[in-house]
Amino acid sequence: MREPCFDNLLKVLRKQVPDRPTLFEFALNDNLVEILAGERFTHGSHEDQPEIFIKAFKKAGFDYASLRGSAFRLDWGEQGAKHSKSLNEKSLIYDTASFEKYTWANPEDYDYSRLERARQFLPDGMKLIVIGPGGVLENVIELTGFDNLCYMLADEPELVEAIFNNVGERLVKYYEICASFDTVGALVSNDDWGFNTGTMLSPADMRKYVFPWHKKIVEVIHKAGKPAILHSCGNLKEVMDDIIYDMGYDAKHSFEDKIFPVEKAYDELAGKIAVLGGIDMDFVARGTPEEIKKRCMAMLEKGMEKGGYALGTGNSVPDFIPVQNFLAIISCAGVDIKL
Amino acid sequence: MSILNEMSEALQKGKKKEVEELVTKAVGEGFTPKQILEEGLLAGMNIIGTRFKANEVYVPEVLVAARAMNAGIALLKPLLVSSGVQPLGTIILGTVEGDLHDIGKNLVKIMMEGKGINVVDLGVDVPADRFIEAAKEHDAKIICASSLLTTTMMKMKEIVDKARAENLSVKIMVGGAPVNEEFAKSIGADMYKDDAASAADYAVTCFQ
Ligand code: B12
Repeated sequence: MREPCFDNLLKVLRKQVPDRPTLFEFALNDNLVEILAGERFTHGSHEDQPEIFIKAFKKAGFDYASLRGSAFRLDWGEQGAKHSKSLNEKSLIYDTASFEKYTWANPEDYDYSRLERARQFLPDGMKLIVIGPGGVLENVIELTGFDNLCYMLADEPELVEAIFNNVGERLVKYYEICASFDTVGALVSNDDWGFNTGTMLSPADMRKYVFPWHKKIVEVIHKAGKPAILHSCGNLKEVMDDIIYDMGYDAKHSFEDKIFPVEKAYDELAGKIAVLGGIDMDFVARGTPEEIKKRCMAMLEKGMEKGGYALGTGNSVPDFIPVQNFLAIISCAGVDIKL
Repeated sequence: MSILNEMSEALQKGKKKEVEELVTKAVGEGFTPKQILEEGLLAGMNIIGTRFKANEVYVPEVLVAARAMNAGIALLKPLLVSSGVQPLGTIILGTVEGDLHDIGKNLVKIMMEGKGINVVDLGVDVPADRFIEAAKEHDAKIICASSLLTTTMMKMKEIVDKARAENLSVKIMVGGAPVNEEFAKSIGADMYKDDAASAADYAVTCFQ
């Protein structure tokens, strides 16, 4: 079995050529984690069992394991608990009165000891990558509802700004705390900004309300000497320069064939920002292992030439991705396992 | 500027109150409800649709304009009914079974209504049978199905198969994040469109 070596991923994140093909996923579904680890989660809070994530990611050939730093999460109300839900359902904040009534969770009040406890389970050379409890825009949408947010942008922009400030400063704090642990090698700031043809808010409003907070998130991560990875879905063509030059993210994750196929994205972005994953979700869900291997090998080859690329899916490995197809991806990086 | 132009401009800026005032004023000045609807409200929404397609305005601007349009239409409704103004035709719209995303679907609704089309919105998580039943019940020309996940887009084939099995003379249009033209063809759907405004443009051609 190959040994994890975070320096490989670090090279990718620094836009260099890694010593060997490198893998990246934002998240693996819990069932797959259990299969890979050969062990079941024993209690409700899965993320409090970093050893299982570590075992699973190691087995699948990753140089890191990803998990959230603590149980910190803003209260989204009832709808937050559902697996799949509409962005428009009942919201907690819809006017000044509901804003003032809302109780904000604070990242400082949570327990981050799992990031320290992980040390005893991390093999030499392996690190953690911390992901966030939803991003700046995502949290605001969850709190207000998408339609409401749009109406408030027109009717009460000061209120919108106040909501963004409350969310933004908490996420900055969360990343600052997580980045201070030396078990943590890099951090993912996950915030879906787009859909098929554009950004969810106008680029002007993205720049006004969302991006300043991301700039601060990147700053606190960089201050701790660590790379900041942006996971953001949808069509971000119009704001790609903001991501690279203004916010200063080191890597971009999430690509879709319909919008910006990863091969094309890499041709355009290589040297400017590291490109992670990108093998389209629909392709990975419906393709055969042979088709997947062919595309992954070609993409890896491209990426090993100019550097700044790690192989993986366009989004994550949810339970609808056949395990054989996931194994096909990692086999291209030289990880041959049987489950 | 004519009052109908003013109405269109106010609508594009999402100024709901102004649109309401202008509708009332236009009625008082003797414009027909059909004229106010078509040359004021729908004309404004049409421009928003075109600008959305060109990424000159974004979803929030569309929603706010639609809110103004709907406020204007609500005032006009009794007059439209009494003067016998008919919608262009009817479409059935919904997000397929197992899928609860609805922002995209709602935009399709807005753009369709902005073209004067009657939309029967079945909501989210809609089984194939309900699309078929609704199409029969409302004598709809088009079924519009939205899906955001690979797992749920397979449900679109079920809708096509059922409509074909029953020999319904209804067109089936599909859309949503993972859907593309090739997939639409492979399941035998009649049309795929990338965005809500183009979907409405296509629907208009079906009613002509
Ligand atoms: C926001 C979002 C989420 C949010 C949803 C929040 C919520 N409360 O609903 C969250 C973060 C929860 C989420 C979760 C997940 N997501 Co998601 N998500 C998105 C995202 C970024 C935007 C979707 C959206 O709201 N768009 C806004 C509207 C305006 O756009 P739209 O729906 O596409 O509609 C436009 C057109 O498509 C068209 N249209 C829409 N319907 C119709 C119908 C007809 C007939 C026509 C003609 C046109 C048309 O008109 C609209 C306007 O022009 C998309 C990315 C993307 N490319 O869309 C991923 C995406 C849909 N998600 C994806 C995935 C994988 C997931 C998860 C499985 C991730 C995970 N590991 O858990 C879960 C699944 C949750 C579930 N079971 O539903 C994948 C799906 C891939 C696939 N092929 O299956 C996507 C495509 C991202 C990616 N990188 O690949 N997601």
